Amino acid sequence: MSKTITCTTRDGRSIAFVDDIIGSGAMKDVYFSPDRSYVVAFYKTPQDYQAQERLQMIVGKYRESIFNQIGGDYWQHLFCWPTAMLEYDGRLGLIAPTYAAHFFFEHGSKNNDMLSIKGKEKEGKWFAAANLRQRFIDSRELGNWLNHLKVCLLLARAVRRLHMAGLAHSDLSYKNVLVDPSHGLACVIDVDGLVVPGKYPPDVVGTPDFIAPEVVSTSHLPKDDPNRKLPRRETDLHALAVLIYMYLLYRHPLRGKKVHDVTDELRDEQLSMGERALFVEHPTDASNRINAATAKPTELPWANTEKLPYTLTGPYLSPLFHQAFITGLHDSAQRPSANDWETALVKTVDLLQPCSNSQCEQQWYVFDNSTQPCCPFCGTPFRGKLPILNLYSSRKEGQFRPDNHRLMVWTGQSLFWWHVNTQIAPNEKLIDTHKQRVGYFVYHAERWWLVNERLPDLLDVNTKTPIPIGGKLELKDGQQILLAKGDGGRLVVVQMVES
Amino acid sequence: MSLRRLPVYILLDTSGSMRGEPIYSVNVGLQSMLSALRQDPYALESVHLSIITFDITAREYLPLTPLADVQIAEIQVPDAGATFLGAALELLIACLDRDIKKSTAEAKGDWRPLLFVMTDGSPSDVHAFRQAIPELKRRNLASIVACAAGPKAKEDVLRELTDRVVMLDTMDAATFSGFLKWVSASVAAGSSSAGINDAVALPPPPPEVQLVL
Repeated sequence: MSKTITCTTRDGRSIAFVDDIIGSGAMKDVYFSPDRSYVVAFYKTPQDYQAQERLQMIVGKYRESIFNQIGGDYWQHLFCWPTAMLEYDGRLGLIAPTYAAHFFFEHGSKNNDMLSIKGKEKEGKWFAAANLRQRFIDSRELGNWLNHLKVCLLLARAVRRLHMAGLAHSDLSYKNVLVDPSHGLACVIDVDGLVVPGKYPPDVVGTPDFIAPEVVSTSHLPKDDPNRKLPRRETDLHALAVLIYMYLLYRHPLRGKKVHDVTDELRDEQLSMGERALFVEHPTDASNRINAATAKPTELPWANTEKLPYTLTGPYLSPLFHQAFITGLHDSAQRPSANDWETALVKTVDLLQPCSNSQCEQQWYVFDNSTQPCCPFCGTPFRGKLPILNLYSSRKEGQFRPDNHRLMVWTGQSLFWWHVNTQIAPNEKLIDTHKQRVGYFVYHAERWWLVNERLPDLLDVNTKTPIPIGGKLELKDGQQILLAKGDGGRLVVVQMVES
Repeated sequence: MSLRRLPVYILLDTSGSMRGEPIYSVNVGLQSMLSALRQDPYALESVHLSIITFDITAREYLPLTPLADVQIAEIQVPDAGATFLGAALELLIACLDRDIKKSTAEAKGDWRPLLFVMTDGSPSDVHAFRQAIPELKRRNLASIVACAAGPKAKEDVLRELTDRVVMLDTMDAATFSGFLKWVSASVAAGSSSAGINDAVALPPPPPEVQLVL
């Protein structure tokens, strides 16, 4: 039995840890508290004055600015943020919350966990590569495509919050983000390397696969060369775009077939991730396409960009991928912000349609805006009546303008306050009463119905019929439905697709 | 998906002096190295492993195989026998020439291979050993690490092969498994965060090992 050591943090709290290393990274050794509710991580090497000052800011001012505000609790689930510093036996340490249980494999790998990864951390890489997913991971761990969208949404939101606070993560990668696709959850870890522009420079260049092209192509220059590019907010945005692309399409956006140097593979890597980085789905330059013909069977169909192009992510995400990997790949100012990703992901969730094939591995897909919708993953077409609600909002009494936001209807689909009023957004600021469902949709006796649960103003505009709470309204093509009066109140125009 | 393979070659001394505890701990160490590597998704995607054993002859014990498909049966050691490391290097060169895919204009080739050599003595075929070294250098490996285990291991000779020589004072289970653990950490290191100043670097060796540079 290892002994328990008690010590005091810099801010005077008494803490304890069991003197038995549970994990060891490049920088730190990690120990559990006796009740395992938190961990203590000691740096292996002494940290200089500036690093210590930065850590002090991270556990202090930066932490408070994010967590000690209204809605601050929300971030407890999205970050594993260190809470205190301490010294023990000449070593500098940090206190951090223990990762939540759902970030450890419950079933692990296939065939009775042949890789023995049950109980290990769900490192994102397992879920971001088609071969690993299809060949090794137990299907109960994989989650469906809706959950993957949620993972990306939480990730974008966490990065947005950091950037709002003027911070940059500097080393976003699937190693520093825990994901739980089976529940649609994500958590940013290793925030002790945060970069504050002009104040605390980065101490890593990042992790291969996620380092921005400008950082890769200037990495040979000395650290103080004015042309050397180091991690900052814009490079986080490259890493975020790569992460989202990989979690939705299970392939890397820049790893195609193009060979830049036949004699030196390190230089080839340097060029293909740096100076000559090229999107595998570039619309006019096909030279870096993924060669689906040489892909492993377990990489298909994902290696086939013709069959599963990035545009399957729908009308809100596709332009952002275009911006991130075509216009903004070598022009960091053009990259979409974390907020852009968050907004597009929220809207994309509303465009999802359940696949009618119960064997479909992804189970959900984005409505492709066509009159004959079809699941891009398994090819199963939609059959039946499909209502689509187009959202409009008013800026002036009686005048409604399109919001470029649609809501797909399926049995069990819910209507929420953020659909009803344009001023309400489903994020950390959402108050409890706005989390409640206000209505739902059901297909009954070959008709689609909207059931009103909490909307006092619900009105069928064409017939001027109010729908009381508890009442229901049949959805019809061309119908206009007022969801709420007043500022930001929304109007819905129904389109009915039949196939 | 256009992913390069990372070939990893392990040369293992199976000369007579490895009988008993040494080979037992090498076998145990190999199994735990395999399972540690398989728990690393990066290694699982890229690493291909080959094992060459050498005593009185050199044998390709495990031809270059994707990590996921590797199965290693227990390695046996003959009663007695010399340490033909030179022959092992010759065999390795032949394997490299046969296995390693070079890049072409159309397809990405392999990463430069990693080589780990583990021996408890010094080569009995010094001439062949010295002949093979320049040939091997021409194959342009990414890194060569030699591990000299036990009191009879000759560091000087190994340093002709590489400047990365790890000395293991003892030949018990802990030192071998420590070394093999280090091998898997070195193999996995390519995927972790890279520092601002460093080029590709090996992680620090396990505490019980002296790295002679």
